Amino acid sequence: MLQCGAFETLLIYSSYAMQKPHFSTASCVAVVLVVLTVLTSSVRAQAESSDTVVPEQMGHGALLLRTDQTGRYREATALSTNVEMRVTGLIASVTVTQSFTNQSNDWLEGIYVFPLPDDAAVHGLTMRIGKRTIKGLVKPRNQAKRQYQQAKKSGKRASLVEQERPNMFTTSVANIGPGTKIDIEIDYQQTVVYADGEFRLRFPMVVGPRYIPGRPVAASNQSGTGWAYDTDQVTDASRITPPVRDPRQGPTNRVTLRAEVDAGFAVAEIDSPYHAVQIKRKRDHRFVVKLDSTTYADRDFELSWIPTIGHAPRAALFTETVDGEHYALVLVMPPNPDASERSGPLPRETVFVIDTSGSMAGDSLRQAKAGLQFALDRLTARDTFNVIQFSSTTRQLFQQSQPATADAIRRAKHYVTGLRANGGTKIAAALRASLNGGKHSGRLRQVFFLTDGSVGNEPQLFELIQSRLGDSRLFTIGIGSAPNAYFMSRAARFGRGTFTFIGKLDEVTDKMQSLFAKLEQPLLADIDIDWPDGLPVEATPNVLPDLYHGEPVTIVAKLPQPPAQIDVSGRRRHQPWRFTVDAMHGKTQTGIGRLWARRTIRALLEQPGSSSDDKILLQERVVDLALRHQLVTRYTSLVTVDVTPVRPRDRRIRSHPLATNLPKGWSYKHVFGALPATATDSRLLIIYGLIFVILSCVGFWMARNRA
Amino acid sequence: MRRRAVYILSCALLGGGIWQLSGATYIHAKAGLAQVMLRAAWGQSLADGPPRPPWPGADTWPVARLRIVSAKIDALVLANASGHALAFGPTHVAGSADPGAAGNSIIIAHRDTHFRFLGYLNPGDRITVQTRDGIEHRFAVTAAYVADSRTTLIEDETPRPRLTLVTCYPFDAIQPGGPLRYIVEADLVNGFGNSIGTEMAAVRPDIL
Repeated sequence: MLQCGAFETLLIYSSYAMQKPHFSTASCVAVVLVVLTVLTSSVRAQAESSDTVVPEQMGHGALLLRTDQTGRYREATALSTNVEMRVTGLIASVTVTQSFTNQSNDWLEGIYVFPLPDDAAVHGLTMRIGKRTIKGLVKPRNQAKRQYQQAKKSGKRASLVEQERPNMFTTSVANIGPGTKIDIEIDYQQTVVYADGEFRLRFPMVVGPRYIPGRPVAASNQSGTGWAYDTDQVTDASRITPPVRDPRQGPTNRVTLRAEVDAGFAVAEIDSPYHAVQIKRKRDHRFVVKLDSTTYADRDFELSWIPTIGHAPRAALFTETVDGEHYALVLVMPPNPDASERSGPLPRETVFVIDTSGSMAGDSLRQAKAGLQFALDRLTARDTFNVIQFSSTTRQLFQQSQPATADAIRRAKHYVTGLRANGGTKIAAALRASLNGGKHSGRLRQVFFLTDGSVGNEPQLFELIQSRLGDSRLFTIGIGSAPNAYFMSRAARFGRGTFTFIGKLDEVTDKMQSLFAKLEQPLLADIDIDWPDGLPVEATPNVLPDLYHGEPVTIVAKLPQPPAQIDVSGRRRHQPWRFTVDAMHGKTQTGIGRLWARRTIRALLEQPGSSSDDKILLQERVVDLALRHQLVTRYTSLVTVDVTPVRPRDRRIRSHPLATNLPKGWSYKHVFGALPATATDSRLLIIYGLIFVILSCVGFWMARNRA
Repeated sequence: MRRRAVYILSCALLGGGIWQLSGATYIHAKAGLAQVMLRAAWGQSLADGPPRPPWPGADTWPVARLRIVSAKIDALVLANASGHALAFGPTHVAGSADPGAAGNSIIIAHRDTHFRFLGYLNPGDRITVQTRDGIEHRFAVTAAYVADSRTTLIEDETPRPRLTLVTCYPFDAIQPGGPLRYIVEADLVNGFGNSIGTEMAAVRPDIL
């Protein structure tokens, strides 16, 4: 566009120069300047300021506003996010504030799809307009949606928070007036992960584009505003695929974050591996962490802290009493493995499955390859192994798992080096290839899945894992700056393995090393909790997984009265193992009740509902629990509605789906590369070439005339 | 003095002009010459099986031969759709089906070199694609349309084997990089020894 404008200028200028009887050096210089302008304008067009765009650059349908600069536009709604975290012991309560600013003269509805941790218990919503605040309530999803739609229609300000996936939510804000700002505060609670002697807290910031399998349904019947059509396999595809900003436009959604941590023990080290932060230590084992000034939501935030040696807790008990109900959170760390447990692991069959779909292009594939190369080096000659790659198709290195001889490993390494990222994420076929449902006596069969999990058809995949697992164990390794943690942690749970996250290249060695070290064999099996005599207890999870080195047992329970002591038992190698937690040392903490409700809901939803009656019953129980504890779930949403209408009756409201950033390190071309660009600049070159030649002829002609 | 300045300037402009024109010539020469070298590699590959890089150091190889008699087209299709391979010939999109196999096989090329002719194809026109096993698959054009690459999805699982040819649109645009694409879809009508193909022939006599 800009280029064409400059072209016209050039043509006008050169004809003017020719008409002029006395040709001067000055006009020559002017022509050269114009020519230079043309040559550089295309470069400049790309480097223009980042809050305005030219329409061709918009990778999505968004509302655009004209700016003073001709041909450049600005997006109608600006979004920024502020995160406040307060961590006490093992529970973090977080407030996320999303500020929607309407930069247009229209009345707008903002729709923003965003991620939260997959164990987030969303329980509060506040809409803030200037000084006024309106609190939200959890209601059954349909009812909340109706209420929001009515408010939107009648011109009242309203907001709605819905859950799309346990780790993906949508905020809708109706009737944002011209030039006004509405703040949406969302309160949620999450648990701190304690493993390998380290406490970890994650805050995801961006929803990566998902692979949507299946046949599209009729275009008129779409459930949302995303870039994908709903399909028979992913019926809400258009709700979970927010428009993605072309990286050339520069990032959107500025994020500020502050975390206040009360560790409860002496802390040796605090780290934020993916972001630059300022850390301030305070008294009584407390510290405050702040994100450095300009951060945009394009990768997950992680905070970790390590206790000073000798202060690592081996057991913890927290209790809470809400409305006469007692809740307890128990954490027990198994003992360190002794020499006999470290030596002589069982021979293993190891299957590595690596995702080579388009979403892995760039840093992600490099990380996955490095992880795989590392893992291949750890294999011993007693082990057998295979490598499977998948994108739109699935290929495997060997027909069957081969003994890990030096030659086989060399071949595997060569194979891995040559992998390229392209195509869709067809995980189902890869799962079928790697899990066969069989028994493998005398061998530990471990399947490692290296992927970003960018898929939309999670439920089918979970079913597949459950039905084909056999005695294999599935370990998921999340790759990249924004993997789908919900899919991967749950897949690992169904696969009775663990989920490891690798966020950048220089973490690969460390994380793979600790994963492999503890995988040699489970440390504790058949774990059980003995609650005090005769207490009817609703505990979650009710079946505990095997534990590997460095992982604690955590259990949340609802009890009729506060417990005096709790016994944890299990089998360690072939010996029985026991641990007693004395409740006298227990601390009270808020949030345990909510945590119990969140976990119970998750357990209910994971039950395979056989008949449709079962499903309805299940849904009723979930809604009941969610309403009692005020939690957002698949079946309940948070809604706020202002009392008075603000939008004049004669003004229309327009919807504006807000774009998300592409996760850091992803390559835009590969994700949206189904239709590559197919034009060369040969025409442009010919036109420039001809113009230059004509101009030079004119120049020669004039030089001769003067002679 | 002035005369000299104008003279030097004109020389510079002439040089610049030749530079630009040779850039354009290079693009077209590369596109043409590569096809000649590809033809040799294709012949060998057909004779003894394994894919052959057409010239030393090439990171792509011919995977199929695309012929359209009505448009006097005979071009070799390259593996692995990267911008790099596109300079030498039409390219088969990695991850899409192989031509003639179940699903959608997508082939793309530049609108100003190899796929210039795409706009002249009409429904019913025949396209022949020979794969490396020597089999010739025959397709008939069923649709041709313009689509916005930002909103259009191309199916990868089609009910019958399909060939989709894609190039940039409009054909005569000067500036490269626009969002529009010209898409030609063709369905398999007869693949020798291909059971789906024979079934197809039974179902759709109208296009045989």
